[in-house]
Amino acid sequence: MQESEVFQRVVKIISPFAKNQAALAGVSPGTHILDELKVNSARLVDVVLAFEDEFGIEIADEDVDEVNTVGDAVRLIRSKLG
Amino acid sequence: MAELSPRARLALGIQLAVGRLLAPLWVPLSAALMRGAMGWRVEGVEQTRAEYRRIRDASREPLLVCANHLTMVDSALVAWALGSPAWYLMHPAALPWNLPDRENFASTWWARAVVYVMKCLPIPRGGDRGEVSSVLARVGWLLRRGEAALVFPEGGRSRSGRVEQDSRTYGVGRILGEVPGCRVLCVYLRGERQASWSRMPARGDRFRARLALLEPKSVASGLRRSLDLSRQVLARLAALEEEHFRDRG
Repeated sequence: MQESEVFQRVVKIISPFAKNQAALAGVSPGTHILDELKVNSARLVDVVLAFEDEFGIEIADEDVDEVNTVGDAVRLIRSKLG
Repeated sequence: MAELSPRARLALGIQLAVGRLLAPLWVPLSAALMRGAMGWRVEGVEQTRAEYRRIRDASREPLLVCANHLTMVDSALVAWALGSPAWYLMHPAALPWNLPDRENFASTWWARAVVYVMKCLPIPRGGDRGEVSSVLARVGWLLRRGEAALVFPEGGRSRSGRVEQDSRTYGVGRILGEVPGCRVLCVYLRGERQASWSRMPARGDRFRARLALLEPKSVASGLRRSLDLSRQVLARLAALEEEHFRDRG
C-alpha cells in the first residue's frame, strides 16, 4: 500500500479524535498526535484499535510507545502490512 | 515493555534500600498524620489487614494492588488499610510501591526527594509514551522481585465519583501481560463522607475497605489483551463498589 494512501486513511481515523481542527487542516507526517492535534492521551488507544481494524493488523502495546507523530503511525502500519 | 537496563536496576535497588533504611521514620509518621492529624479511621481494619497478610502468604506469585481512586492520598490510605506501620517495618516488601502523577507529586526537588524515599515512581500521566513504558517496566521488575505495587486502573481520580469502567487506560493490563502469574488484589476504599472525587478526604472521615483477589486471563493479544485485562480489573472494582453501597444501605 502506498505511503500516501496510508497517510490519508490514518488522518481520516484520527480526525474525530482531534480537538485542534486548525492543526488537522495543515496535518503533515511530522504533526504530533497528542501535542498538536490535541488527541486525548486516553483516547489514543481507540485510535490505535481503529488502525488495527482499518488495516487488518495487530499492534503490540509497546509499539504504541513509538507512535508520536502521524508519520510514526504511517511507518508502523506500513511495517505491519509488510 | 522496555527491558530494564543494568543501570535502571541498580537505581531501583538503591531506591529500595534508601526507602527501607528510612522506613522507621516515614512509615509511622505517615500513619500518625492520617490517624492523629486528620482523624481518619478504617472500619474493620484488623480484618482487612489479616486478609492482606493471608493473601500475601498464600502464594509467592507477584501481587499487584489495584484500587479505586477518589482523592490524592488514596495510595497512603490503601497502604494504611492493608498493614500497620509495625508490620510493614517487618515486611517491607508488602508496602506497595506507588505511581504518583509526576506533575502533582514530583514537580519540586523536595517533593521528588520525599516520593523517592516513600517507594514512589512518579509517572507522566498522558505524557511521553516512552517514559510511561519505562516506569511500567520498573513496576514489572519490582513485582517479579516480590515487591507489592499499587496502581489505579482508572488512570486518575474518578470524576464521576464512581468506578469508571469505560476508562480507556490499559497500563494495568500491560503490567499484567508482562508479569506472568501476577495476581491482582482489588481494593475498594471509600470514606463515608466521600460523595465524589476531591483533593483530600474530609477530616475525621471513616473509611471502609473491600478486597477481592483476581487472576485476570485473556485470550486476546497485543493492545486488545492489555485492554481486556484492565477491563476485568475495573469490572471487579465496580462490583466491589456495588457491594459497598448495597451494604451501606
